[in-house]
Amino acid sequence: MATVKLTNVKKVYGKDVVAVQDFNLEIKDKEFVVFVGPSGCGKSTTLRMIAGLEDITGGTIEIDGVVVNDLQPRDRDIAMVFQNYALYPHLTVFENMAFSLRLKKVPQDIVYKKVTEAAEILGITEYLTRKPRNLSGGQRQRVAIGRAMVRDSKVFLMDEPLSNLDAKLRNQMRAEIILLRKKIDTTFVYVTHDQTEAMTLGDRIVVMKDGFIQQVGTPEEVFDSPANLFVAEFIGAPKMNILESKLVSENGQYYVDLFGKKLLVDGKKGEYFKTKAVKAQDIRLGVRPEHVKLSDMTDKSAFECTIEVNEMMGSELYLHTVTPNGDKFVVRVQTINISDELRHSLNYGKKIYVTFEGKAMHFFDKAEGKNLINA
Amino acid sequence: MGGLSASRRASNTLIYIILTLMCIIWIIPFVCILFESFRVETTMQVGYVIPKQFGFDNYINLFKETDFPIWYRNTFIMGLFVSVIQTMFVLMMSYTLSRLRFKGRKGLMNFMLVMGMFPGFLSMIILYRVLSRMGMTGEHSVIGLILVYTASSGMGYYVSKGFFDTIPRSLDEAARVDGATRAQVFGRIIMPLSKPIVIYTVLCAFMGPWGDFMFAKYIAHGSSKGMNVAVGIQYLIDKDNMRAAHYTQFCAAGVLVAIPITILFMCLQKYYVEGVTGGSVKG
Amino acid sequence: MNRKFFKTLSTLEYLKLNRFEKFVYNLVMFFARIPKMILGLFIKIWNFIKACGLFVANEVKDFFMTFIKGTWVTRVSYLVMGFGNIWRLQVIKGLFFLAFEVIFFVYMKTTGFYWLGKYKTLGDVGMHREYNEIYDSYIDVPGDDSFKVLLYGTLTIVFILAFLYTWRQNIKQNRIMDEIVRSGKKVKSMKQEAKDLVDDQFHKTLLALPVAGITLFTVLPIIFMILVAFTNYDGSHDGYANLFTWVGWDNFNELLHSAGTNNNLSYTFGEILSWTLIWAFFATFTNYFLGMIVAIMINKAGIKFKKLWRGILVLTIAIPQFVSLLYISKLFSKSGIVNGMLINWGLIQQPIEFWNNPTSARILVILINVWIGIPYLMLIATGILMNIPQDLYESAKIDGANVWQQYTRITLPYMLFVTGPYLLTSFINNINNFNVIFLLTGETVANPKLNTSGGSATDVDLLITWLFKITTGATNNYKLASVIGIMIFIVVAGLSLIAYNLMPSTKNEEDFS
Repeated sequence: MATVKLTNVKKVYGKDVVAVQDFNLEIKDKEFVVFVGPSGCGKSTTLRMIAGLEDITGGTIEIDGVVVNDLQPRDRDIAMVFQNYALYPHLTVFENMAFSLRLKKVPQDIVYKKVTEAAEILGITEYLTRKPRNLSGGQRQRVAIGRAMVRDSKVFLMDEPLSNLDAKLRNQMRAEIILLRKKIDTTFVYVTHDQTEAMTLGDRIVVMKDGFIQQVGTPEEVFDSPANLFVAEFIGAPKMNILESKLVSENGQYYVDLFGKKLLVDGKKGEYFKTKAVKAQDIRLGVRPEHVKLSDMTDKSAFECTIEVNEMMGSELYLHTVTPNGDKFVVRVQTINISDELRHSLNYGKKIYVTFEGKAMHFFDKAEGKNLINA
Repeated sequence: MGGLSASRRASNTLIYIILTLMCIIWIIPFVCILFESFRVETTMQVGYVIPKQFGFDNYINLFKETDFPIWYRNTFIMGLFVSVIQTMFVLMMSYTLSRLRFKGRKGLMNFMLVMGMFPGFLSMIILYRVLSRMGMTGEHSVIGLILVYTASSGMGYYVSKGFFDTIPRSLDEAARVDGATRAQVFGRIIMPLSKPIVIYTVLCAFMGPWGDFMFAKYIAHGSSKGMNVAVGIQYLIDKDNMRAAHYTQFCAAGVLVAIPITILFMCLQKYYVEGVTGGSVKG
Repeated sequence: MNRKFFKTLSTLEYLKLNRFEKFVYNLVMFFARIPKMILGLFIKIWNFIKACGLFVANEVKDFFMTFIKGTWVTRVSYLVMGFGNIWRLQVIKGLFFLAFEVIFFVYMKTTGFYWLGKYKTLGDVGMHREYNEIYDSYIDVPGDDSFKVLLYGTLTIVFILAFLYTWRQNIKQNRIMDEIVRSGKKVKSMKQEAKDLVDDQFHKTLLALPVAGITLFTVLPIIFMILVAFTNYDGSHDGYANLFTWVGWDNFNELLHSAGTNNNLSYTFGEILSWTLIWAFFATFTNYFLGMIVAIMINKAGIKFKKLWRGILVLTIAIPQFVSLLYISKLFSKSGIVNGMLINWGLIQQPIEFWNNPTSARILVILINVWIGIPYLMLIATGILMNIPQDLYESAKIDGANVWQQYTRITLPYMLFVTGPYLLTSFINNINNFNVIFLLTGETVANPKLNTSGGSATDVDLLITWLFKITTGATNNYKLASVIGIMIFIVVAGLSLIAYNLMPSTKNEEDFS
C-alpha cells in the first residue's frame, strides 16, 4: 500500500559493467507493474535494488516518499518471492511462513491467525506441518507467496516466481496470482522474462533491454504501439515480422513499397503521417503474424511467399515462409477459417499469397528502429 | 551372452581376491599390535605375533610406571578446547568469506593463502620462546598447545567455505527481506543447515591434538607431564631414551588410544566422508 | 619439422591434424605462450605497483585535502585523535581513539624509542664482567639481549604502523562525518553503529577474533622468523651471553653456494631438497592412482559387500596415524617382527636393517605411505565417481567404447579435471609431511655426508624434518632453520604458481558440468 519512485537509478558492477541506467519510474499505490526483458537486461537487478539486496550506484529509490537507498532490506517493509522459492529447508511450512513474524516477536496467537489465514487463501493448510522438501514445485511456490503475504508489507516484489514451474502449472499459477492480487490489495512489482506473463498480469509493463527502459505502458499500449523494434519483436508470440521497405508519398497519400507493390497506409496511421508531413524514407515494416491474411493471385496488394515449415498448433497454423527477397515471414492462420483442402496443401514449397491492412502495419525508422508514429 | 558373463565373472573373482588381500594387509598391523599388547613373557620386541602367555600386565604397568594417564588427560582436555574454539573460528571465517562481501575480502584470502605456504613449524621457534616466558610450555604445555592449535585455525576455512558456498544465497536474501539481521541469518538459517559441516569440523579439530607430533613435542620440550599421547607414546620407544624394554607397553598404549578414537570416528563417519569428498573437489 | 606447427591454426586447420601432430602443435603453442605468460606476469606486477602508487598518492592527497577543506573539528582531530567523534556525540569511540593515541605516545617515550635505538645493531653490550663494590670482585653483568631487541623492536615497528593506520582512519572518519553533516544528514549514533556490527558490518564482528589469532600466532612470528634469517642467531649467538646481529644475505649465500669440504651445507640442502621433491611426487601420485583403482574396483557393478570393503579401509583412517606409523616402524626394525619371522623361517641369517639402508628406507616410506593414503583417496575417488553423470557412460557405450576406453576417455579425465586443485594441495602437504617421515624413520642413522653445522640429517629426511632437527638439535641453529623455512615457502609458492597457470579447473569451472 505504497508508491515506489525510482529516479535516475543506476547500477554499475565493479568498475564499468553497467547493469541499469537512467531508470525513472513512478509506481502508483496498488499498481501491478511488470518488468520484462531478456536475461541480462537489468530487470532483476532493479527489483533487487528496490528490495535492498543490491547497493544503488546512483539515483534514489523512494518507498512511500521515503528515500530508502541506505536502508537495510528489513527496514524497507517489503515482501519478496524468489525464483527458486528460497524456503528455509530446516523449518516446517508453518515456521517458514511465520519466520518474519517470529523475528518481530509477534505473539503466538496472532502468528497462528495470520499464517492459517494465508494458508487458507493459498490452499496449503494441510501441508503446514511438512518440511519444504516434501512439497511439489507448485506447493513450494504457494508457501513462498504465503510467506510474503503474512507480512502485510507495503510492496510485494516477485522475482520470476513462475519460471521454475512446468508449463501447465505455470498457466494455473498465473491465473491464481491474478486472483490473489484481488485479495491482497497492495503494490506489486513483478519481474519476468516471459511476455505472456507480463501481458496478462501487469497494469503496466516496463520493457527493458541492456539496462535501459525501452517502453513503459499498459499491455495494450505496448502491444499496439511498440516504441521501437525491440519492443515490437519482444512482445507478442510468434514475434512480429520485420520487412525491409520504403515509405513513399504520392498525391497526398502514403504508401508502403513492398516487393514492388504499393500498399496504401490508410486509417489513423495514414492521417498521422499526413498531419505530421512525415517525409518519405527507407523503413522497417512490422506486421504481426496474426494480422496477416491469406489471399490469392487476384489480390493486387498480395505478395507471394514460399512455405518452409508448417507448424500445426491445433486451433491454428504457424506458416514459416520466405518472402521473394529471402526474408523470413511467419503467418498465423486460424484453422477454422480455411478449408480442409487448403489446410492440407500448405506444405513445404507451396506458394501462398498474403496481404495485410494498413492498420496492421508498424513503421520503424531504419537507423534507430524507433516507431515513426509518436516518435 | 555366456562368454560375456563368464569374463565378467572372472574379472569379479580377480577383484574379490585383490580386495581380500588388501583387507588382510590393512588389518594385519592392528591385529598384531593387539596381540603384542597382551604379551606377558617379555616386554622386548620378538619375532612372532601370538604371545605365549596372555595377560594385562602391560596395561597395568602402563598406568603404574608411566605418565600415560597424564598424557591421556592432557590430550583429552586439548581435544575438548580445540574442538570448541577451532570450530568457532573456522565457521566464523568461512561464513564471512563465503556469504559476506566487504572491502579487502579477496586480499584477505590471498594473504592467508600466502601465509599458509610457510611451514607452520617456522613460527613455533619464536612462539616457543614467548610462550615459555609466559609459563605455557614444558609441564604446562597444555595451555600453550591449545593456543598454538586454535589461534591460527581460521586459516583452515576451505572445506567449510566450500560447504557454505553450496547453500543458495537466496536463502540469506529471503531471510533479510523477512527482517533478519545478518547475525540472525547466520544463527537462525545457516547454522541449522550446517550440521554436517559443523560435525566434520568438530571431529577434525578434536582429532588434531591426538595425532599432532611436531608441535606437541616442541612445546612439551621433554617434560613428560606436558606431553600429549603421540609424543608420550613415541617417548616410550624412542631410541634416545634407551627404553626398548617398554615395547609392549607401547603396544598397549596404542590400543588404548586407538579404541575410543576409532569408535568416535566410526559413529561420525558419514559426516567425515562428506567433508573429505566435498573438500577435495573444491580444493 | 613441419612448418605448420609454427603458426596459429584456425579451428578447421587444427582439426585436420592427426593425434601426434596435435600434440606437437599444442606443445609448440605452449612454449610459444611462455614469453607472453612471463610478460603478462610483469604487466600484472607493474599494474600492482602502479595501483599501489596511485593508492599512496590518493591517500596523501586526501590527507591534505581533508585538512584544507575540513571543519575546525576535523583539523583538531589531526592532533587530538577522536576529537571529531567526541564532538559529534560518538563519545566512547572517540575516547578509544584518544586512549590509543595516549598509550602510543607514552609507550614510545618510555620503551619504544629505547628498542628502536638498538634495533640497528641488535644490542651493543653483551654479557660482560664489571667490578662490583659490594662483592669487591668482578662479576658477570647482563648486557643487551639481542632476542629481546629484535622482538620488541619489531613489535614497536608494527605498533607504529598500527598507529599510523589508526590515525589515518581517524582522519578519514572525520572527513566522512564532515560530508554527512554538510549534506544535511545525521551522523550515525554509537547505538546505530553498534547495531551495524551484527548487520552491515557483521564481517568485522566475525573476523575480529580469528584474524587477531592469525596475526599474533602466524603473521607476526613469520615476520620475525624472516628477520632472523638475516641475522646470525644460533646456539653460539644466543643473544644473551653472545649478542647476535644482522648479517645480510650471508645465510642464504652459505646455504646455496657454500663450497669446501668442512661445511657441506649446500650439498646437504641439494640432496634433501631433491629427495623431498621425489618423495612428494611418488607419495602423491602412487596414492592417487592406486586409490582411484581401489575405488573403481569397489564401486564396480556386481561387486558385493561394498560397505564391508569400504568399512575396513576407513577403519584405518580412524586409528590415529601416529599409532600405526610407530608400530609399523617397529615392525621393520632390526629386532622387529618382520626380521624375526624371516629368521625363524630361515630365509635370512642376519636381520636386515631396513631403515638404515637409504634405498630400502626410501622405498619403505613410500610403500607405507601408500598403505596410509589409499583409504583417503578411495573415499575421495568414490565421491567423485558417484558424481560422474551416468549418461556420459551410456553415450560412450552406445558410441562403442569398451571398459578400458571408458576409463581412459571419461573417468580419468573427469577425475583429473575435478581433482586438479586437490592434487596440488596434496603435493604440498607431502612436501611438508612430517609425521610419516619422522615417526617411521626414528631408527634411521644420520648420513655422515649430510652432517652439517646445523644438525645431522638422514637420507630420508625432508626439508621439514630437517628443519625440526636443526631447531631441536644441540646447536639450535635458528638462522639456518629460518632460511630453510623460507626455502620451503619458495618451493611451495613456485609450484602453486606453475600449477595454477596450467590447471584448467582453476580457470573455467563450468567446462565439465
